[in-house]
Amino acid sequence: MSDLNDEYDEREAYDARDERDGELHDGLLEEELRQAAAILDPVPAELRRVAVDAFALHDLDARVAELTFDSLLDGIPVRGVADPPRMLTFSTDGLTVDVEVSADGLIGQLLPPGPAGIEVLSGPRAHARLTADDMGRFTGDAPPAGPFALRLRTGGEVVVTEWLRA
Amino acid sequence: MNGLLPVGTTCSTAYDGTSYTRGGTVDRADVGALVQSAADGDAAAWKSLVDGLGPLVWSVARSHGLSDADAHEVYQTAWFRFAQHLGRIREPEKTGSWLASTARNECLKLLKASKRWTPTDDPQLLDRPSEDRTPEESVLDSEEAAAQTERVRLLWQEFEELGERCRQLLRVLISSPPPSYQEVSAALGIAVGSIGPMRQRCLRRLRTRLEARGTK
Repeated sequence: MSDLNDEYDEREAYDARDERDGELHDGLLEEELRQAAAILDPVPAELRRVAVDAFALHDLDARVAELTFDSLLDGIPVRGVADPPRMLTFSTDGLTVDVEVSADGLIGQLLPPGPAGIEVLSGPRAHARLTADDMGRFTGDAPPAGPFALRLRTGGEVVVTEWLRA
Repeated sequence: MNGLLPVGTTCSTAYDGTSYTRGGTVDRADVGALVQSAADGDAAAWKSLVDGLGPLVWSVARSHGLSDADAHEVYQTAWFRFAQHLGRIREPEKTGSWLASTARNECLKLLKASKRWTPTDDPQLLDRPSEDRTPEESVLDSEEAAAQTERVRLLWQEFEELGERCRQLLRVLISSPPPSYQEVSAALGIAVGSIGPMRQRCLRRLRTRLEARGTK
């Protein structure tokens, strides 16, 4: 009986050691891969700089209008339309921003309707300026490739739409 | 063991004990405090966050097989949105997971929008010089560079020839510093509990491939 137990314990100990060795090997191989990734596929330096500069986008005074509709996710595909415009809706308390983005440009509508100064942000610094008319309508050139956001000034408040890639 | 590592390289303590808290206990402990400082206007804290979590965000973009241009946009979108939500994030200590899942959602949208699916085993990637000299690269520049470079290239080549799921999981796991399993889960939309077993299977598959090429 005790022999049996000894043998069992021995095998269990062996398995445990085997498992530990296996895990050690896995850990070493993962670490080698980590080094290889750091050499062959690091964060590009210019991207790191863009992320550092993005601190300038931190603006606690602005309210964030969150993306509540995106035709890419929520829309029904239109048959026969190869490249439909992207329809986006951003919402925050008391303000909704509908935006349609296509190759031809950007068309928008504020609800409730009203005038606003609008900046098209395409990064921490670059931007274009638009104006929403008394009916809350605005148009502009298509935002440049890459992520964009709209900063709207209506009355005394500033609202920024969530960043996304059009 | 005849690994690819230089002799004397030891295993990171990140792999001791339970895997669930690796990363999380090693390098991520300060994330919550850094987020708070950055929200209060501390640019140096923001920079630390970029350096500590940037590689994770990049790995998420890379693991989804996006083109270079799309991967750049995902990375930027994640950081712009984080800057925008800074100070409003409910659980600052989980910022790594927040960034990882934001990046993942953007990846999925890009793939859906463009169908521009390019395989990550892009041969150009292997030859692409990086813009900055990392400490690791400086090592490669030393006299034993050629052999070392060859070993790293071989390892990376075998990694890129793994199946898509393994490549995806490992690419995120090998970001630096090592991500927590919560972050990996957020990055890939897989259950925390399945990461350990998948990791083991993928690493052992990779080792088998390396052994088959006579490079243990």
